[in-house]
Amino acid sequence: MAGSATAVGTISGGRHLPSARQSDRRFKWLLVAPAALLILAISIYPLLFSIWVLFVNYDFQIPGHAFVGLKNFSQVIFDPVARYSLWVTVVLSVINVTIEFILGLAIAMALAKTFRGRGVIISILIVPLFISPVIVGQVWVLMLHNPFGPTNYLLGQLLGYDVTIKWLTQFPWNFVALILADVWQWTPFMFVILLAGLTSIPPHVYEAAELDGVGPWLTFWNITLPYLAPMIFLAITFRLLDAVRLFDTIFIMTGGGPGTSTYSASFYLYTIGFTQFHLSRATAGAWIFMVLTLLVIIFLVRRLLKAETR
Amino acid sequence: MTPAVKRPVRRSRLSRTPIWRILFLTVFIIFVLAPLYWVFVTSIKPSDDYLAIPPVWYPDQPTIIHYTAALFDYRGLNGLINSLIISVAATFLSCLFGTLMAYSLARFNTGGQHLSFWVLSQRFLPPIAIVLPIFLNYRALGLNDTHIGMILAYTVFTLPVSVWMMFAYFRGMPRSLEEAALVDGCTRWTSFWRVAVPLAAPGIVAAAVFTFIACWTEFFFALVLTSRNAYTLPTVFRAFLSFQGAQYGEASALAIVSLVPSIVLGVLVQKHLVRGLTLGAIRG
Repeated sequence: MAGSATAVGTISGGRHLPSARQSDRRFKWLLVAPAALLILAISIYPLLFSIWVLFVNYDFQIPGHAFVGLKNFSQVIFDPVARYSLWVTVVLSVINVTIEFILGLAIAMALAKTFRGRGVIISILIVPLFISPVIVGQVWVLMLHNPFGPTNYLLGQLLGYDVTIKWLTQFPWNFVALILADVWQWTPFMFVILLAGLTSIPPHVYEAAELDGVGPWLTFWNITLPYLAPMIFLAITFRLLDAVRLFDTIFIMTGGGPGTSTYSASFYLYTIGFTQFHLSRATAGAWIFMVLTLLVIIFLVRRLLKAETR
Repeated sequence: MTPAVKRPVRRSRLSRTPIWRILFLTVFIIFVLAPLYWVFVTSIKPSDDYLAIPPVWYPDQPTIIHYTAALFDYRGLNGLINSLIISVAATFLSCLFGTLMAYSLARFNTGGQHLSFWVLSQRFLPPIAIVLPIFLNYRALGLNDTHIGMILAYTVFTLPVSVWMMFAYFRGMPRSLEEAALVDGCTRWTSFWRVAVPLAAPGIVAAAVFTFIACWTEFFFALVLTSRNAYTLPTVFRAFLSFQGAQYGEASALAIVSLVPSIVLGVLVQKHLVRGLTLGAIRG
C-alpha cells in the first residue's frame, strides 16, 4: 500500500503541472462515477427509502401508509417463528461451514502433491460451484426421493432392510438433506482456496522438518496450520457470510416445511414479505438481519483487509 | 538421523500415493458425480422409468421428450432467452463499470480504503435486505418484471466481484508501460484505454466469466423481481414444485440445459478460480 502511494506521488506530483494534477483528480473520480452511482441508485437509495417503510404501515393487505411507530419491529421480534428461523440459520450455517471446512481441508491435503490425473480430478471436483443452488436443490430432491430415488434404495441394499426415510419431510432427515446439498455444492469452495494455500507453502520448510525427524501430526499442527491460517480465515469468512443467506435449497427442497420447521431467516422474511405481503414487517426483519450480518462483516472483513494490505 | 532411515521416506513422498488417499478421493469424486449422473439419466428416461423400484440405472430407450416438454410446455425456452439477455447485458455493464472503477482504485487509491471497502461490503449484504426495498422502488418506477430492471439489479449485485477482481489484477500489473505512454504525451484516458485495458484483457475475460456465471445461476432476485415477463431460467423450477414426482423428467432436462453452459465456462477459466472466489484477495 505504501509503495503504491509513493508511486502515485511521483506520477502526478513529480512530473506534471498543478493543472495536470487537477485533471488527474477529475479523471479518477470520473472512472469511479458510473459504478458508484449505480450502487447508490439501485442499492443505497432503496435502503434509505426502506427506513421510512420501517415505521409506517406498508402492507398489501392493509391499505394506506399510516405511521405505526415500532410496531413492525415488535411484530417480528415477538414472533416465535422469526426467532426460530434465526436459530436455524445460525445452526445450519455453522454445521455446513464446519463440515465443508474439514472435508475441504482433507481433500486439499490429499491433492497437495502433484501426481498424474490430479488436474482432471480438480476439474471434476470444482463442478458444483458453477451450478445454480436451485438446481442443486432439485438434483438432491431426485437423489433423495422416497421411494423412487437411488439413495434409499442403495441404503436398503447396504443395510439389508427397506429404508423409507422421508428425506424432505421427516425430522431430522430434512436437515440432513439440506446439509447434504450445501456440503455438496460448497466443499469445493473451501478445497480450492485451501489448496492454493497449501501449494504456496515453500517445500524447504517441510524438508527441514523431515530432517529434524518431526512426525506428520506435529508437522501438520506446527507448520501446515500456521501457514494456512490466513487462508483458512478468509475461506471461512467468505463462506460463512454466504452460508447465512441460505434460501434457494430450502425453497426447492423442503419449502420451509414441514410446517415452519426448516425456515431460515431469509426464507422467513421472504414468506412474510412476498407470500403474505406484510412488506413493512418483512423490511423491519430484514433490517434486523442485516445489522446482525453487518456486525459480523465489519468484524471479519476489516480484519481481512488489514491482513491483506499489510 | 542416518541416510538408511531417510531414503524410504523420500521415495514415498515422490511416487507412492497412500491407499487411504486414493480411497478418500474416489469416494468424494463419486459423491460429486453421482447426483450429476442421476439428473442426466433422469432427463433421458421415459416417464415410466423414473417411477420404478429398483431405480433404472440407465434406460433401455433413452428419449428427449422431456427436453422439448421443458423448453416448450414449461416455457423453459423463454426463461433461457431471458437468462441469456439479462446475464450478457449485466455482465457487460458490470465489467465495463467495474474495470473503470478498479483502475481508479488501483492507480489513484481513489477514496482510500473506505470506497473499496464500501464496494466490497455490498457483496456481503444479505440479499433479502436489499431485495425488499428494491422491490418497493421498482414497483413505483414500473421496473418490476422488466429486463431493464433485472439487468440493473444484476449489474449492481455483481459489481463487487468485477471491481475487486480487476482491482487485484491492476495492482499486480506493472505501471511502467502506462507511465511510458504518459511521457510520450498520451492523456490519462488513452494510457488507460489503449495501454492498461489491453494488458488487462485476460483478467477482464476471467471477471466477465465469473460475473456471467453469477447472473446465470442467481435465483433469489429473479424470484422476487420477475413474474411472467422477464423470468429467468432458475425461476422456471418453481413450476415443478407442486407436483409429486410426475414432472421429474422435465425438471432434470431443464437442469441439464441450465448447468451445462455454466460448468463449461467455469472449467474453462478454472486457473482464475481462486481469484474469482476470493474476489482477488488470493492470487492462486
